[in-house]
Amino acid sequence: MTEIKHHAYLFDATRCIDCRACMVACSVENNIEMDKTRIWVSGVGVKGEFPNLQRATMVYHCMHCEHPDCMSACPVGAYSKRPDGPVVYNPEKCIGCRYCMNACPFGVPHFDYDKGIVEGAFIDKCTFCPQRIDVGEEPACVHTCPTDALEYGEREELLKKAHERIAAHPERYIQHVYGEFENGGTSYLIISHVPFEELGLPTLPEKPINEVSETAVGLTLPVALGWGAALTAVTVGVSLLKKKSAAEDEAEKKPEAEK
Amino acid sequence: MKLNITIQPRFRIGLFPLTLLVFMGIAAFIALWRYIYGIGAISNLSNSYPWGFWVSFDLFTGIAISSGAFVIASLVYIFGLEQFRPLVRPTLVTALLGYVMEGMALLVELGQPHRIWYFLRYQNFTSFLLFIGLYVMIYIVVLTVEFAPAVFERLKWDKAAALLKRWMKPVVIFGAVISTLHQASLGSLLLIQPAKLHPLWWTPWIPPLFFVSAVAIGLAMTIFESSMTSRYFKRALETHLLEKLARGLPFVLGFYLVMRFVQLTLEGKLSLLFASGGMSLLFWAEILIGVLLPIVLFSFKRVRTSPGSLLTGALLTLAGMILNRFDVSWFAVKHYDPLTYAPAFMGKVTYFPSITEILVSVGIFSFGILAFGLAVKYLPVLEPEHHGAHAGD
Ligand code: SF4
Ligand code: SF4
Repeated sequence: MTEIKHHAYLFDATRCIDCRACMVACSVENNIEMDKTRIWVSGVGVKGEFPNLQRATMVYHCMHCEHPDCMSACPVGAYSKRPDGPVVYNPEKCIGCRYCMNACPFGVPHFDYDKGIVEGAFIDKCTFCPQRIDVGEEPACVHTCPTDALEYGEREELLKKAHERIAAHPERYIQHVYGEFENGGTSYLIISHVPFEELGLPTLPEKPINEVSETAVGLTLPVALGWGAALTAVTVGVSLLKKKSAAEDEAEKKPEAEK
Repeated sequence: MKLNITIQPRFRIGLFPLTLLVFMGIAAFIALWRYIYGIGAISNLSNSYPWGFWVSFDLFTGIAISSGAFVIASLVYIFGLEQFRPLVRPTLVTALLGYVMEGMALLVELGQPHRIWYFLRYQNFTSFLLFIGLYVMIYIVVLTVEFAPAVFERLKWDKAAALLKRWMKPVVIFGAVISTLHQASLGSLLLIQPAKLHPLWWTPWIPPLFFVSAVAIGLAMTIFESSMTSRYFKRALETHLLEKLARGLPFVLGFYLVMRFVQLTLEGKLSLLFASGGMSLLFWAEILIGVLLPIVLFSFKRVRTSPGSLLTGALLTLAGMILNRFDVSWFAVKHYDPLTYAPAFMGKVTYFPSITEILVSVGIFSFGILAFGLAVKYLPVLEPEHHGAHAGD
């Protein structure tokens, strides 16, 4: 097997049959509790009038963004982006503030609301199965998928594959690969026969959405220094003025006293 | 034998402090429950709504109403307006308690409360939340130093008090810088959510807007808190001072108003002002109650010199501005909405705080009020009253 430089998934909504085998495979592989999951399969149900019925299902998990907002937001740096794609979470650092959940535009990280202080309440999300991909295996969900709705591989190649498939069946697909540019690009690519909003995916700009926030954070030090200098200047100026007017008062008083 | 229990007068607890103590007890019990059974057991927070009432109330509101300290301290130490000195210590106590309360709230809110100090251990410098955590820690120290002379005076450590007072100006400047950054950063927490916060509120202008409104909140809060202490401790109200603060409010609020509308115009969002249903309503409520009405009211000298109207004006400003904090951090935030069929762990897609969630905040707030009362009673916080100004007593 060739070494993969940038791991990615491709999800083809036209192929998904809503069997949820990926969910089960993930939970088994990663030892997830029964009532929780790192993958969730959901959809809008059957739509249209008989006989023109249509259904669509979406398999959600972490999009492994190229510019992860969870990572940008986490105060203690519990997230990191591996150079080869996966966005990983480190519970050792997490304080449980849940800011990452707010920041992620896809609503991916979820939290142990049922855990007390002894077990510890942590964040959980898809890890890209490093225990498997690092030894050259596919992630568990991809491995299980019976219809190849989920595929895994080199990001560049999957992108090419996605575009080729759309070009080969223009009547079947929406002319767009979701995740190619969204939020600065993601490592979970999606092609679909229904508009992406119907799959519950947010409409995002091509610029990473954490750009504004990170620029603003970068202004902290200059603003602090500038503001500190300005306030010092005012303080000094005001006290000089006061001294001067006090001296003038003195000067005025003296001649009076002499008279 | 007849049991004769007489309570020493100084141990007598009034009804009001007793109520506060009860609320604190309830909150402590709920917190204990949370430590055993998890945050889900006491709150309606979910994977769809990770932040709710606690963040809006304890963090956004709590920090905002603590802004009086740096506003008044700056007026006195930086702008040399000595006449406001009597207001410095009460606002300092408010702020110090506000920040300590925020820390207490975090101890309930965080998944790993014992790691609250991890801000010092691991840092991710792209995160506004990191800076907020650091500002809280630094500012508690600054406030303690600023307030220390009051404690030293009480302990009759006159030398220490005098020494500290001589170095107060740099401390106040440093504190003002930290406060400014902190108030601005609070709003900046939302900068990372353009996809979730309603466009009427999401703007790169959030940091300066938050700072300017924090100054307004600080002034209003000082008026409010002076009115309350004068009522509860039956002291004469420093109306002449509050009148001056109230005179400044229309300018600050006016500046805020102009900034807000310039921002909306430049970003081409004016059409949203009437076209966003409930969100438009919230926006106008903020502007009318918190900005326009106070501007009009405080422009009348009659309003500024009457204790009752002063309080009303301050309360309006606070209500409108706190509504703004709630909008930005809760009401105008749309969280991820799972599709029709989704697994249960995605949780509730609508959010309303549970009663226990609110009681936690009420308990912490009660602690703040009680501690403020004790500080005022036992430390030289309020200026000794001038001859002839004795009220009640
Ligand atoms: S989808 Fe969310 S959790 Fe996953 S990398 Fe992107 S921002 Fe982070
Ligand atoms: S909950 Fe944990 S991982 Fe998420 S932002 Fe907070 S500290 Fe970071």
